[in-house]
Amino acid sequence: MNTNLKISNVTKIYPGCVANDNVSLEFNSGKIYALLGENGAGKSTLVKILSGVIIPDEGKIYLNENNLKLNSPLDAKKNDIGMVFQHFNLFETLSVFENLIIDSDEQRESLREKIDTIMKKYNFSIDLDIPILNLSAGQKQKVEIIRCLIRNPKVLIMDEPTSVLTEQETSELFLSLKKFSEEGILIIYITHKLKEVMQLCDEVAVMRRGKLVSVSEIKNENIESLANKMVGQNLKTIKKKKAKTSSDQLIKITNLNFTSEDPFETNLMDINFSVNRGECLGIAGISGNGQSELFQVLSGEIISEKKSIEFNNNYIGDLNPQERREYLMAFSPEDRLEQAAIPQMKIFENVALNNFKSSNFFNNGLINENKIKDHSKKIISDFNVNTDNIELKSQFLSGGNLQKLIIGRELITSPDLLICFNPTWGLDVGAINYIHETLIRINEQNKSIILISTDTDELLKLSDKISVIHKGKLSKIMNAEEVTSEKLGILMGGAN
Amino acid sequence: MIIDINFIGLIIASIMASAVPLILASCGELITERSGVLNLGVEGMMIIGAISGFALMTVTGSLIIAIFGAMLAGVLISTIFAFLTQTLITNHVATGLALTIFGIGISAMIGKNFVGIPGKEFPVLFEGLKDTIPLLGPILFGHSIVFYFAFALPFITSYFLKKTKIGLIVRAVGDSPESASNQGINVRLVRYACILYGGAMSGLAGAYLSMIYTPQWIENMTGGRGWIALALVVFSTWNPIKILIGAMIFGGLTIIQFHMQAIGVRIPVQFLTALPYIVTIIVLVVISRDSRKIRLSTPSSLGKSFHKDN
Repeated sequence: MNTNLKISNVTKIYPGCVANDNVSLEFNSGKIYALLGENGAGKSTLVKILSGVIIPDEGKIYLNENNLKLNSPLDAKKNDIGMVFQHFNLFETLSVFENLIIDSDEQRESLREKIDTIMKKYNFSIDLDIPILNLSAGQKQKVEIIRCLIRNPKVLIMDEPTSVLTEQETSELFLSLKKFSEEGILIIYITHKLKEVMQLCDEVAVMRRGKLVSVSEIKNENIESLANKMVGQNLKTIKKKKAKTSSDQLIKITNLNFTSEDPFETNLMDINFSVNRGECLGIAGISGNGQSELFQVLSGEIISEKKSIEFNNNYIGDLNPQERREYLMAFSPEDRLEQAAIPQMKIFENVALNNFKSSNFFNNGLINENKIKDHSKKIISDFNVNTDNIELKSQFLSGGNLQKLIIGRELITSPDLLICFNPTWGLDVGAINYIHETLIRINEQNKSIILISTDTDELLKLSDKISVIHKGKLSKIMNAEEVTSEKLGILMGGAN
Repeated sequence: MIIDINFIGLIIASIMASAVPLILASCGELITERSGVLNLGVEGMMIIGAISGFALMTVTGSLIIAIFGAMLAGVLISTIFAFLTQTLITNHVATGLALTIFGIGISAMIGKNFVGIPGKEFPVLFEGLKDTIPLLGPILFGHSIVFYFAFALPFITSYFLKKTKIGLIVRAVGDSPESASNQGINVRLVRYACILYGGAMSGLAGAYLSMIYTPQWIENMTGGRGWIALALVVFSTWNPIKILIGAMIFGGLTIIQFHMQAIGVRIPVQFLTALPYIVTIIVLVVISRDSRKIRLSTPSSLGKSFHKDN
């Protein structure tokens, strides 16, 4: 049976922002639809309206000509609309089976049978009796999908499903989605990743600032045309100039080891590398292979043996992050809101946080607020942070703006080395471009970068040398020109 | 010889009796906390239960009305807490502390007229069987209905949380109220129910103190037991069976140190008095050391306000 989903003149207004401005769209089963847009374009609001989490101010939703009243997530479920959220809606400490039975009216045994059938059909293999927190992101997503499939949905909405997946998991997901589509489930795929849209979808709707910009068939589009529609202007392609060969060594890591007491962390084994001035060393790898531990060891969150890290001819392995900053190192951690900034504090307060000594932000223990504010304004204008209110709490900045602020804050001491970990994770195209340009500029000023990233394209674009981390071990260091993404993929999988 | 064994039995029974209010209040608070709500008002709810039970017993003469009245009083005072924290989204810690202060104050006020009035005898079950088995007889038989209920409660609670659908929903809400809400669970309703249940159990624990354990009203008679109950919940890592163990150790050491003081053991009294607190915490910490299990049984949203935004 054909499914037809119609969104008609939907408007949702938040104080100070129109999240959805009179949006109308129509979907038919048998096709995979992409809903494309930058962060804050209003696509998440729209799908939350479809799944009953948010109630629109105006507009109607029709499923097969029936006007749906979606006042709660329960209504969406009852009307056969399944949704997999970007941030999983799972109960971490409950077992997989408990997560699935909680909103089901079926008996334990029959539900178990049903889940087994689904898993067999789509080739999922998940232990139903272990807690969710022991699963990988890809497996968690499968649990979410099973949860939807149990109810035989007519519509399946996937909100930014690949942001936490490895490439392997992503291609598995695409296979499943295509299978669902063939079986008549209408699939709406929300993303800001253009490559995925081209790979997976049949039709694409682009949103920008709450408005629907275009609806078109994929075969009439390409990555550039979609990017321009999404951003609303022509994007320049950035390319790195080949670095001057320098042999002036800046940082050297020798026989670095780290053994964790936490069974969920990765141990680092015998890490050796060095970075010269003006160079960018990229470290590739599938997430969870020791990147986070490596970043912490390099930044001083985890202290190691004194002589294992030599920076500018000083042994600094036993120094904490603050002390390492005094030697002109700077850090941009992966988790912007948890590690890099304090969400409840204002922008200018966050700017002051990592500049205790080498700044004049503090006089005899008192905060020199004017100085910090002037300085924050400078960062905001120099780094293109899209706000003029430095009193804003940093949790209200979008990911891209927050990342620009953090990089700006780190660079203000003009450090010799910037260590960043997934600096463009979850950002939209415009912000990614800006961050990439900034990183290239750093290299051009003869400063160095260690770039730990799970994004292969980014690494190939920015690095001079590349190494791959797998299960806590680094591969040999290669020149970036000799490396292809296929070769990286093989190394990331653990082969030699 | 038989007399000696029965004497040991009596001591064990008295230890168990002193553990009853702790088990009741802890198991109630455990359900509240498993839903993600931290109610520090246990002491206040207990003492309200104690005075309500004693006052109702004196005024009406009915033990049944008194017991259920005490539970109802616990429910009523916890409703204040639920309304403040769940509807008005106030801070759990501050509200709970206020509840305790309020409870102690108002119980003292109501209790003025009941000081010095003797309590009633509370009926015990299986009195006749007490002497039939040595050692076990005094332990198993001749206790109040509340006593038996308290010792069944940890097992009922454990079964409820692990095996029933509602128990699963309570755990889910405590794990992630956002996810629960997105799954269509009414988070506020679940938390209200859990808070009210916790109130009822604290009320019952208080009534046990003023009607059965020491049948009289003394101002501030709960004497910090509510705080111990709270500590038991945390140090047992939200496990009802470990609450039972912890309550027994605490009750046991309290009784034994009394005897040691009476015999005149040459250990400073202050140390003896502090002993139950120290040992209970040490034992519970040691038996709950597994960090994985702690992670699995700790309600992730404990003490955090949940506000559904639209």
